[in-house]
Amino acid sequence: MTTVKHQGFKVENVAKGKADWYCFTDLCKGCGLCIVKCPKKCLKWSKEVGIYQTPAVEPNPEECIGCGTCALVCPDSAIKVNKK
Amino acid sequence: MIQTLDVNPDLAKAQNAEAGASKFCPGCGHGMILKTLAHTLDDLELQEKAVFGCDIGCSLLSWNYMNVDSVQTHHGRTTPVIYGVTRANPGTIGIAYMGDGGGLAIGSQHLVNAAVRGENMLIVLANNTNYGMTGGQMAPTTMPGQKTETTPYGRDCEVTGKPAKGAEMVASIVDPNKAYVARASVSNLRSLRKTFTKALKNVEKGGFSFVEVLSICPLNWITNNEGTWDRLKTMEEFFDVKEFVQREGLE
Ligand SMILES: Cc1ncc(C[n+]2csc(CCOP(=O)(O)OP(=O)(O)O)c2C)c(N)n1
Ligand code: SF4
Ligand code: SF4
Ligand code: SF4
Repeated sequence: MTTVKHQGFKVENVAKGKADWYCFTDLCKGCGLCIVKCPKKCLKWSKEVGIYQTPAVEPNPEECIGCGTCALVCPDSAIKVNKK
Repeated sequence: MIQTLDVNPDLAKAQNAEAGASKFCPGCGHGMILKTLAHTLDDLELQEKAVFGCDIGCSLLSWNYMNVDSVQTHHGRTTPVIYGVTRANPGTIGIAYMGDGGGLAIGSQHLVNAAVRGENMLIVLANNTNYGMTGGQMAPTTMPGQKTETTPYGRDCEVTGKPAKGAEMVASIVDPNKAYVARASVSNLRSLRKTFTKALKNVEKGGFSFVEVLSICPLNWITNNEGTWDRLKTMEEFFDVKEFVQREGLE
């Protein structure tokens, strides 16, 4: 198990409160591949920046269904969707 | 607001959690392939038995990616290095990871002979249709008409011959009773995980597995996020994504 702590931000209560969505900004390289694959088209560039000081990504919590597609495609494992 | 989070990323046990962000460019397919491979090693509980070899080219940037014994070797030579390890230590799950330049051009003789002899190993070949690390030159896999650094007007097959199709070539020379040969794509990582599962189960049974994965190289393709996925679709039209050889009894 890792003891490394990661930097990032949390978007609480996506999927009608059934999940929390996380972006690890020390892993996100701002490639935007996840944005294209999001089935709800609710993932957008964030005001927060990733490891290369380029925009990270952030979902609109009202529209995100917590499906985890973004986390699956991210080459850098920078997204996590925690079902509650 | 950015803060220290109390949760960890969803890394596989077979992935090195201490390494931090991978050395690949933003949006590189190598990360997708390797994280999927690592999760499959977890699924099959093969982490302790696995030895991972990476080639020259961007695949070498994975020298600290896996939480598995790893070795980095020269172009295409990852294949003989890994089956050497497997021959010396039977029961090892040997994995050779390479690009299309390393596997199908610069070190292709090793791939050919390992396939003909049915060496007990898994070869994973990432096909991004160019020589990534050296700046995006034409590779054997560059598609007809595709622009690269060395084919600025598009690949002209009259001059260069036709693109190499790795999985088809390997499929035509392996022993079908011992082999698993497939082409997959980073457009569907769930399906890639199933492909790796079969490939690794075949290695556990003593067989030879070859998986070519259609991959993406946004840096040298000079594509944005949408352009990258679109190019991958074009590749899937040119290179058949399917299983070519599957020995009996693999699921
Ligand atoms: C024998 C030899 N020739 C040429 C090179 C220079 N070289 C280093 S990486 C590379 C391209 C690798 O391309 P590929 O195998 O497709 O992998 P990618 O970087 O695209 O992942 C080349 C030609 C080398 N290292 N050794
Ligand atoms: S969890 Fe699904 S809906 Fe939510 S941002 Fe990710 S891909 Fe989009
Ligand atoms: S979360 Fe992952 S896929 Fe999305 S922009 Fe960041 S690095 Fe790219
Ligand atoms: S050059 Fe291409 S293959 Fe190499 S790390 Fe960058 S995106 Fe990946």
